Amino acid sequence: MASKNLKIDIKSGTISKEVATIIFDGELDAGSINKISACFDTIRKDGKKYVIIDMSKVSSVSSAALGELMGGRKLMIELGGDLVLAGMNLEVRTKLSLMGANKIFRFFNDLRTAVNAYKWEFQHQADAIKLSFPSNLKFVPPVRQLVSRIAKQKGYGNRDSFRIETIVDEVCNNAVEHGVQGSDDDIDMSINIDKDKIELNVINVSDPQKAAALKALLKTSMEKQLKIDDRRGRGLALIKMLSNKMSVDFSDKGTSVHVTKVREE
Amino acid sequence: MDIRFPYKIHIQFPGDLDYIPPVRKFVSEMLQVSNFTPRFAYRSEIIVDEICNNAVNYGCVTNDAKVELVCEIKDDHVDFQIKDEGGSKEHIRRLRQAMHTEEDKKDDIHKRGLGLEIVKMLSEKIDLEIDSRNLTSIHVVRKREDIEREPKQ
Repeated sequence: MASKNLKIDIKSGTISKEVATIIFDGELDAGSINKISACFDTIRKDGKKYVIIDMSKVSSVSSAALGELMGGRKLMIELGGDLVLAGMNLEVRTKLSLMGANKIFRFFNDLRTAVNAYKWEFQHQADAIKLSFPSNLKFVPPVRQLVSRIAKQKGYGNRDSFRIETIVDEVCNNAVEHGVQGSDDDIDMSINIDKDKIELNVINVSDPQKAAALKALLKTSMEKQLKIDDRRGRGLALIKMLSNKMSVDFSDKGTSVHVTKVREE
Repeated sequence: MDIRFPYKIHIQFPGDLDYIPPVRKFVSEMLQVSNFTPRFAYRSEIIVDEICNNAVNYGCVTNDAKVELVCEIKDDHVDFQIKDEGGSKEHIRRLRQAMHTEEDKKDDIHKRGLGLEIVKMLSEKIDLEIDSRNLTSIHVVRKREDIEREPKQ
């Protein structure tokens, strides 16, 4: 018996050619299985491989309907995509978790978060974070922890996160050390993180004399390998060792250090 | 190197709940290195968590929405300001309502969440600004508890 309590709306092409958004409105009961199955057939024929289901208007989900959703997910996984659930109310989310569905499906609070997760995973969209803080060595540990925690939160492994933390520590220590002492100018940091790499850009207002010393140090480190007993430049050597790309720009506005670290794990 | 007060920290991050735990920890650690007590830092962390959660859940509509947090740290208090792109009319109405709830009209708190009530409880002052484009800014002031203050006249 077909369910009269479920309305289905399919939206395609708004996010990407391969993504379909299904909006369920009503009860996902045993009688709705045929409708759900037909909906997945339509999506498969349209060549979609990633499905986001908007569950915000769903009032209940039966175990039979959940089975049908699992079938849809299996189909999408086989095509190289996924099927995720977004915007469930607390009651539906709790019931699905009790049925163990949270171990199979990815749940998102809302459609926007689900779309961003797709873009992160499949389109390699980068997230941008900007930070500015006073030029003081005491603030470096919280800053390096922040970047490391962000990397971990976005799925980077412990080793990668720790290496990123070390790079941030060295870059920020240099920015404070080579900046104008006692100035009110902040250190500006921008972080671009995507699934494959993290890019850091740290800008400080440089003391002209210290900037000249830094230029000389950079030249030295470019021309020869630093020795273990070299007193200066170990930080730069460490950054170069741990990152995949590093460059330093000097301008009237200040010194800008750009570092790229590719994800290894 | 002594820390000079006041100072500001600006952080702008994507409107995504993933970023809130690192951001709240960061603010807490910045306060602790600035000689605020662990208790003050932890309570400030709760404020940051609540206002950031509200900003992400209700104030971010577009896919590339961003949240901006500015902390001005003074020797005796901290100002937190959070800005988001503004949510729907309904969310803004609920936000205004939550901001102006009187002590004796708290019966419906559980219908709309405890977030702002917790922030009010932990802070001295809380203000809301909504501009013509619905850009929302919440300003929270928290005074430190471990210093002597001039008695009120």
